[in-house]
Amino acid sequence: MNSGGGGGGPDDVVAVAALIDELKSEDVRLRLNSISRLSTIAAALGPERTRNELVPFLVDMNDDDDECLMAVAEHIPSLVTSVGGDEFVHALLLPLESLSTVEETVVRQKAVEGLVKVGERCDRASAMEHFCPLVKRLATGEWFTARVSACGLFACALEKVSSNGNGGEEEKKMIAQLRSLFGQLCDDETPMVRRAAATNLGKVAEASVEDKQFINDEVLNWFGKLTADEQDSVRLLAVDDCVSLSKLVSEEERLKSIVPVALKFSSDTSWRVRYAVAQQIYELCEIIGADFAREDLFPAYENLLEDAEAEVRIAAAAKVSKFCALAGPERSRENIIPRVRELAKDASQHVRAALASVVMESAPTLGKEETVNQLLPIFLVLLKDEFPDVRLNVIGKLDQVNEVIGVDTLSKELLPAIKDLAEDRHWRVRLAIIEYIPILATQTGESSFLFSKEASTSDSENNSAEDVLNSLCLRWLADPVSSIRQAAGQNLQNLTALFGSAWAKEHVIPKLESLLQTEKNYLVRVTVASTLGMLAEKVDEGDITGTLFPIAKAAAADSVANVRFNIAKSLEKMAKSVSAGSAIRTEILEVLDGLKADADVDVQFYASEARNAF
Amino acid sequence: MNARLGLEEYPTYDSMIETLLKHQFLPEADVLRLCDRARALISEESNVTNVRSPVTVVGDIHGQFHDMMEMFKMGGYAPDTNYLFLGDYVDRGYYSVETVTLVVALKVRFPDRVTIIRGNHESRQITQVYGFYDECMRKYGHAGIWKAFTDLFDFMPLSACIENQIFCPHGGLSPSIDTLDQVRKIDRFAEVPHEGPVCDLVWSDPDDRTGWGMSPRGAGYTFGQDITEQFNHNNGLTLIARAHQLVMEGFLWHHDKALVTIFSAPNYCYRCGNQAAIMEVSETMETNFLQFDPAPRRGEEQQAQKRCPDYFL
Repeated sequence: MNSGGGGGGPDDVVAVAALIDELKSEDVRLRLNSISRLSTIAAALGPERTRNELVPFLVDMNDDDDECLMAVAEHIPSLVTSVGGDEFVHALLLPLESLSTVEETVVRQKAVEGLVKVGERCDRASAMEHFCPLVKRLATGEWFTARVSACGLFACALEKVSSNGNGGEEEKKMIAQLRSLFGQLCDDETPMVRRAAATNLGKVAEASVEDKQFINDEVLNWFGKLTADEQDSVRLLAVDDCVSLSKLVSEEERLKSIVPVALKFSSDTSWRVRYAVAQQIYELCEIIGADFAREDLFPAYENLLEDAEAEVRIAAAAKVSKFCALAGPERSRENIIPRVRELAKDASQHVRAALASVVMESAPTLGKEETVNQLLPIFLVLLKDEFPDVRLNVIGKLDQVNEVIGVDTLSKELLPAIKDLAEDRHWRVRLAIIEYIPILATQTGESSFLFSKEASTSDSENNSAEDVLNSLCLRWLADPVSSIRQAAGQNLQNLTALFGSAWAKEHVIPKLESLLQTEKNYLVRVTVASTLGMLAEKVDEGDITGTLFPIAKAAAADSVANVRFNIAKSLEKMAKSVSAGSAIRTEILEVLDGLKADADVDVQFYASEARNAF
Repeated sequence: MNARLGLEEYPTYDSMIETLLKHQFLPEADVLRLCDRARALISEESNVTNVRSPVTVVGDIHGQFHDMMEMFKMGGYAPDTNYLFLGDYVDRGYYSVETVTLVVALKVRFPDRVTIIRGNHESRQITQVYGFYDECMRKYGHAGIWKAFTDLFDFMPLSACIENQIFCPHGGLSPSIDTLDQVRKIDRFAEVPHEGPVCDLVWSDPDDRTGWGMSPRGAGYTFGQDITEQFNHNNGLTLIARAHQLVMEGFLWHHDKALVTIFSAPNYCYRCGNQAAIMEVSETMETNFLQFDPAPRRGEEQQAQKRCPDYFL
C-alpha cells in the first residue's frame, strides 16, 4: 500500500502517511495507536483506495498480537462511511470474517459484533449476495471457532432477508437454508458451538417472530434438545431462553413446552443451572402470570430458597420481596415467610446479606399486622447479625419499614437494636445509623421522646432509651473515626434545622462548648469548631450572638492551629448568617482580623479567605 | 524559585488535590511542576525533619490508593488532620502514581501540616523491580514521570522527629549512627546507597536478639533492645516509631515499648490479610492507634492477585 492519498492538506497527508507506516510497525503500541485511527486513514485515502488498498491490507494483516487483532475488529465497523456508503459496506465483511475464526475468544467476539454492525448496514440484496453466504460459510466451517461465530450472526441475517415481508423465492429459500443450518448447530458435536446456539436461540426466534409455525415447530424443538443437553454449561444458557421464548409463544405453548422445562431445571443436578433458574424464575412467573405460576413455578421457587447450594439460595433470596408481591399476602405468609425465617439464620453470610438487602421491601405486601408479627422478628435477627454487611443492608432499608408499621411500633420494637448499632464496632454501621437518624427524627418530630429530655422524664420506662439516643448524637462528635465525627456534625445541623434554634440551644450547644474547653483530642475540637459554623446557618441570629459566637471566640485561642483555622471558617459562616451592618458582624470580623495575624500560615490563609468574603 | 507556594498558586494546587482525591489523573505537566515545587520545598528540610505534635503517623502505603482513602476517612483529611508519612508510597499496589502524587501534592499545598520522609522503595533501583516504573510507563506512556519522582525522592528527608521525643525513620537504626546530629550531617541528596547510614535508616529492622545482626533482607541491619534503649537514652528520646515491616494488627510494639512498627497498607499486596493502622500522637505526646481494614472495593484487584515474595515484606 502506498502512503498519501486524496483529501486534506499536505500536513494531513504526512500525518496519514505516518499512521499507515505505523500500521506496519514492529512496535505493538504504535500499531495499536494507528489502528485506533483507521477511520482517519480511510477518510484521507478516499472510498476507492480504502476498498482497493486499505481493506485488502487489513485482510492480509496477519497480526500476531491478539490485542491488535481485537483493535482491528473493533475499528473496522467505523469505516462503513469511508468505503463509499451502504452499497459498498459488504467490502468490510471479508477482513472481519477471517477475524471471526481465530483462536482467541475475545477477538472473535469483537469480530462478530463488528459483522453484525456491518450486516445491519447491508440492504436486502447485498445481504443475499454477501452476508448470508458468509454466515453459511462460517456455519459449515471445519473448525469450531467459525461455527461458534456463525451462531451470533443468524438473527441479523434472518432479519435482513425477511424484512418487509414478501420476499421472493430466492429469499424464502435462503431463509429455509439458514434455519436448517442453525438447527444443525443446535445439535453440533462441539459443546462450545451448542453453547453459542443456546445463547442466540432467543434472538433467532425474535428475528422470525412473524412465523409462529417456525417458532412452535422448529425453535421449540431445538429448545427441547438444548435443554436436555448433557453439558450443564449448555443447559444453563438455555435457561435464559425460557424467558425470551415465553415472550414469543402463545400461552398454551408456554404451559406445554416451557414451564415443564423450567420446572425440570429448577431441580437440575447441576447447581449452576439451578442458579440460573433462581435468577430468571421471577421474570418467567411474571410473563406467565401469578395464576398459572401458583401451581408449579411458585413451589419450584420456594424449593430454591431451600437449595443445598449457597449460591442458589443467594440468587433466590434476592428475589424474595418481588415474589411476595407477585404471590400476594396469603401465599407469602404461608409459604415464603417461613422459609425467609430460616434464611435469616442461614450458615452463609452472603445469603443473609442478600436477604437483608431486600426483605424489608415485602412489608408493603404483608401489611402492618403481618409485618409486625412476622417480619420484625426477622429484622431483629438480621440487625444483630455478626457479619457487618448484613446489618448495613438492613439499616439501609429501615425507612421502608417505618412507612408500613408506623413510627411508634418501630421505635418500641427496633429502638433497642438501633441503640446497640449506634455503638457498633464497624464504623460503617455507625455511619448508616447516623444517616438514619434524620429520617427517624422527621417522622417522630421534636416532641418525640427520642430527642428531648423533658418528655423522657414523664415516661420512666423509656427513660434510658431516650437519653441514650439523645446523648449518642452528641457522643458521635467524639468518635475515634473522622467520618463519624463529620457525619455527627452534619446530623446535628439537620436536627437543628428540623427542631429549631431553641432545641439546639438546650441540647447541643452546651455540649459543644464543654467539648471545646475540655476535650484533649484536637481532632474532636476540630470537628466541634466546624460544627459551630454549620449550626450558625440554622439557628436564630440571637443565638449566634448569645452563644455560638462567644464559644467560637474563646476557641479562636486554641493551642492547636487546626482548631483555629476551622474556627476561622466557622466565623465566616456566622458573619454571613447575621445581618449586614450589625454589631455582632463587626465583632466577628474583628476576631477574624486577629486570626489573620496568627503565627500559623494556614490560620492566616483561612482567616484572610473568610475576611475577604466581606 | 520560592520554596513555598504563593497565595495566588493555592487555587491551582487545591484543584489538583481535589482531582487526585477523586482518583483522577493529573496532566503530565502538572505532575512535573508539582515535583519541581516539592523538590524546592523539601530540599530545605533537615535530614531529621522537625515535626510538631499533634500529628498522625502513617506507615507503608505501597500504591494502595483506595486503602489510603479509607485511611483518610478514618484519620481525617489534611489540613484538618496533621500527617507524617513514613515512606514507601509506591510499588506493589496498582495505584502508585496516584498515591505518591497525592502525598506530594498535600505536602506542597500544606507544608506545615504534612511531613514526608523517604522509604526504601523511594529509589530508582527498587521501583524498577517492584512496579512503580512499569506503572508510570503504562499510565503516562514514557519514563518522564518516573524520572521526575525518583529525582524528587533523592531530596526527601531521611527521618523525622516529633517534638524531639519520637524519632521516626522508615526502617530503623544504623551502627554508624549514635546521635541525631550525625544523621543531620549526612549529605542525603543521592540514590539510596547499598550500605552505610542512609541505607540503614531506610532498611534496618528491630530484632528480638540483642546487638547488631545481619539483615535477612540483604540491606541494613537488625538491632536489639539494647541498641534501641541506648539510642533513645543518648538522644533524649521516648520512642522510635518506624514502618517498613508487615505487622498483622497494623502496629506492633517492640523492645519493651521503646519502638513501634506502623504499617498502613491493609491486606498488603491484596493478599496478606493484615489490618492496617495509623498512630495519632496528641498534643501531650500520648499515642493512640486507629486500625482499619481494606476499603470495600469493586473487585478489580481481588482477582488480579500477584504473588508477593516474602523477601521484601
